[in-house]
Amino acid sequence: MSSPGTGVVLDDVRVEFRSSGRDGPVVAVDGITQEIPAGGFVSVVGPSGCGKSTLLSVIAGLRAATSGSVRINGRTVTGPDRDVGVMFQEDSVLPWKNVTDNVRFPLQIARVPRAGRPRLGPGHRPGRAAARRRIAQRAQEAIDLVGLGGFERRYPAELSGGMRQRVALARTLAMRPSVLLMDEPFAALDQQTRLLLGAEVRRIWGETHQTVLFVTHDISEAILLSQQVWVMSYRPGTILDVVDVDLPADRDASVVSTPRFNALHNRIWERLRTEAMRGFAQENRFPA
Amino acid sequence: MSPATAPPTRDGCRVTAGSVAVAVIAVIAWEIASHLSFVIPEPLDTFLALGRDLGDPRFLAGLRETLLAALAAFVLAMLIGGPAGLGLGLSRRARVVFSPIITMLNGIPKIVLYPVLLPVFHLGYGSKIVMGLLFGLFPVLINTAAGVREIPDVYWRLARSLRATRWQTLTRILLPAIRGPLLTGVRLAVSLSLVGVVLSEFFATERGLGRIVLSAYSSGDYAGMVSTILLLIAISFALSLFLWRLERRVR
Repeated sequence: MSSPGTGVVLDDVRVEFRSSGRDGPVVAVDGITQEIPAGGFVSVVGPSGCGKSTLLSVIAGLRAATSGSVRINGRTVTGPDRDVGVMFQEDSVLPWKNVTDNVRFPLQIARVPRAGRPRLGPGHRPGRAAARRRIAQRAQEAIDLVGLGGFERRYPAELSGGMRQRVALARTLAMRPSVLLMDEPFAALDQQTRLLLGAEVRRIWGETHQTVLFVTHDISEAILLSQQVWVMSYRPGTILDVVDVDLPADRDASVVSTPRFNALHNRIWERLRTEAMRGFAQENRFPA
Repeated sequence: MSPATAPPTRDGCRVTAGSVAVAVIAVIAWEIASHLSFVIPEPLDTFLALGRDLGDPRFLAGLRETLLAALAAFVLAMLIGGPAGLGLGLSRRARVVFSPIITMLNGIPKIVLYPVLLPVFHLGYGSKIVMGLLFGLFPVLINTAAGVREIPDVYWRLARSLRATRWQTLTRILLPAIRGPLLTGVRLAVSLSLVGVVLSEFFATERGLGRIVLSAYSSGDYAGMVSTILLLIAISFALSLFLWRLERRVR
């Protein structure tokens, strides 16, 4: 499925933050050399403050690495790319637009697509009307894909948090990016909604075969969704362990009761426990 | 939706009946009060005076001058306060530099500046427009700046990840995101611009409704004075009501 140079390639990525204290720069992410093959689904788990979101920002081109490089489908990342879709943890659905207009938004920003536009005849220049139709069609496909059919005219204020994240997912998918970066997209939702949306993400990935990087602090979510789990340490964030998830590809939530799932869960948790303790101890070193 | 657009209900009828009752009681109280003090004109005389004035070309010219000056002051307040508020909301450095002076200028009673404005901007439109501007500027500026600062950080990241241009970010994300505070600023600026203009007309001017109120007072034409004041209140109230309903519709 994957050929060399495709997918996401991280080469010795290091990110420093300038800190206001005397301790010098804080190293958020250090020495990360990993690869997500094209069409692969990788989750990153780690304690809060371990730099997983920072790593995702670097891959998204929203933040520059202090050293090292990121290549996506052979191109070095220097800034945001429309072929890389980002889904944020915070509610980023625009409240003044209904579902359809939210999903159309990135397409309108990009005024897509020039290539693949239907040629209606010699000398005919398909104008704005054709572009609008195309945008409408793409947005509707994305809306149907995430199961928002029937909610097109609703405004975000009328939708639950889970539905709003579906809108955000549809908006990201509407651009048909080859890489999907998801930064704890369901962290603010209740457990049932999370499970449901996780299953949706996996189903959609099965249909679209995008390369996915999914950041979460939930071990079960990481195992359930992905083919591979990267376990990150507390600051400086390094990859402690890479766990291949050898569960059936057509798994559902019932897999959590199998011995294999438990073994994977225990392995990751053993790795994380000491890191979580270390993070907790450091963050509480100077009580306010 | 808002009760104003809902079909008439029993509650709606009761509210209307209540409003009418309050108005009737107010007019009756006014009538009684007018017999207690000669300064307070009778309601009927007041309305007759208003009818007389509205047929008077000199009065209409004053009305026109006041409204034009208020309109100009409001437009200037928007043109200056809007962009300045944007800059202030977007730039931390601008906030650090300009916040103290803005807070101070907003705090002083602006009418004390009028004697300074008069020789600079002259007795005609100039001084009263600037005074109206001083009144209308700050609500636009402060509300715009506050609105920009309250935009969730994730909207900026969204704009960047979609590679939106600066212009697209401004028109498609920033302005819609601050529509609420912006409209509040507009509503306050409309009424305060009018206040600034009329207030300066009380002090020194050649024409305008403020001047008419003052000369009616000097000549003992209390019915004319009160009717002009009521006209000003009605104009300001109607504009505010319209904008307030627009504001509620937008949310």
